[in-house]
Amino acid sequence: MDKELEHQFVSKLERHQNIAHKICRLYTHDRESHNDLFQEITIQLWKAYPKFRGDAKFSTWMYRVALNTAITLYRKKKRGIRTQDFDTVHFKIKTEEYDDETEQQLGLMYNAIKELNDIEKALVFLYLEDKNYKEISETLGISEVNARVKMNRIKTKLKSVLNP
Amino acid sequence: MDGLELLKKNWKKQEATLPKVSYDEIYKMIWKRSSSIVKWIFIISIFEFVIGVLLNVGLADKEYWNSLEQLDLKEVTIWIYGINYLITLFFVFRFYMNYRRINATSSAKKLMRDIIRTRKTVKSYILYVLISLAIVTLAYVYIIIYHHIQDTQVTDNTPYVFDALDWLKFTGITVIAIGIFLAVIWFFYQLLYGILLRRLKKNYTQLENLDCD
Repeated sequence: MDKELEHQFVSKLERHQNIAHKICRLYTHDRESHNDLFQEITIQLWKAYPKFRGDAKFSTWMYRVALNTAITLYRKKKRGIRTQDFDTVHFKIKTEEYDDETEQQLGLMYNAIKELNDIEKALVFLYLEDKNYKEISETLGISEVNARVKMNRIKTKLKSVLNP
Repeated sequence: MDGLELLKKNWKKQEATLPKVSYDEIYKMIWKRSSSIVKWIFIISIFEFVIGVLLNVGLADKEYWNSLEQLDLKEVTIWIYGINYLITLFFVFRFYMNYRRINATSSAKKLMRDIIRTRKTVKSYILYVLISLAIVTLAYVYIIIYHHIQDTQVTDNTPYVFDALDWLKFTGITVIAIGIFLAVIWFFYQLLYGILLRRLKKNYTQLENLDCD
């Protein structure tokens, strides 16, 4: 029985691991802490898995647990020195598709988001993941109005970063 | 275009560059927790052993040995130290084996068994420390008093004669003092290992719940 549950969990997580990696990339600054956070998220998900009863989608549930881990647990545990690893600092896409200017703009934007505080980051992340405000508010446990107001504030903030 | 919207449009494209963790790696990660708790138990036991030795060696100066010699306790004390070190080392070794075992565990069933075993080892270790301390302290108190009575020459015995109530008071106070001493030690161990043991237990209950589902 337990074997089956383990298998279920691990294969689901394997399938949806991109969610966790995107969060790790956003919340950490080098590969080592990326892997650390990924492991922490895995452990938290596994811990909470018995309570996950399939009434929500696995991915929806995963967004919530993974972001919570990044915001609360990881913040408490680690505030190490920021060694910047070139690989993970920048928003990475296949470069040949883009002209330099677009690529630079994407990089700037991504780095500006990394400078936001942990909660704001979570909001922007869900926004970029194409979640609507209802989903965002449910995942983060805030009201829909609050999510909208916060998001608008962040948008203004980000604009001023790019066009000072 | 707005920078954020541009990023949103291209957001999915980063997925090609994300790291990939394999099924087996994830599988290993979910067992890491118990193993790290047990690792801490092992590390703490080593520290405890080393600090114990250092304290014994550091605190036992010539004067200490001389006074023990006067009481004919020097040899016994050395023996007790030696035996105690051996037994403690044995426990350190057991802790290490527990750690090794849990680290290599692949199934929940085995892990549960290993958790029980680890908890048992820690508990019997604490029990050993408390019982051995109690016995040694009692024996030393007895020997010291015995020596004192033999070595002291009193001309007038009357103020030193104990009636039944005095004996009762005397033993009562001794037992209470030793009891408090042991309680402090017990409390110390609860702090040292208790937290880790509770975590292990929680881990165990989780595993058990999984089993029931």
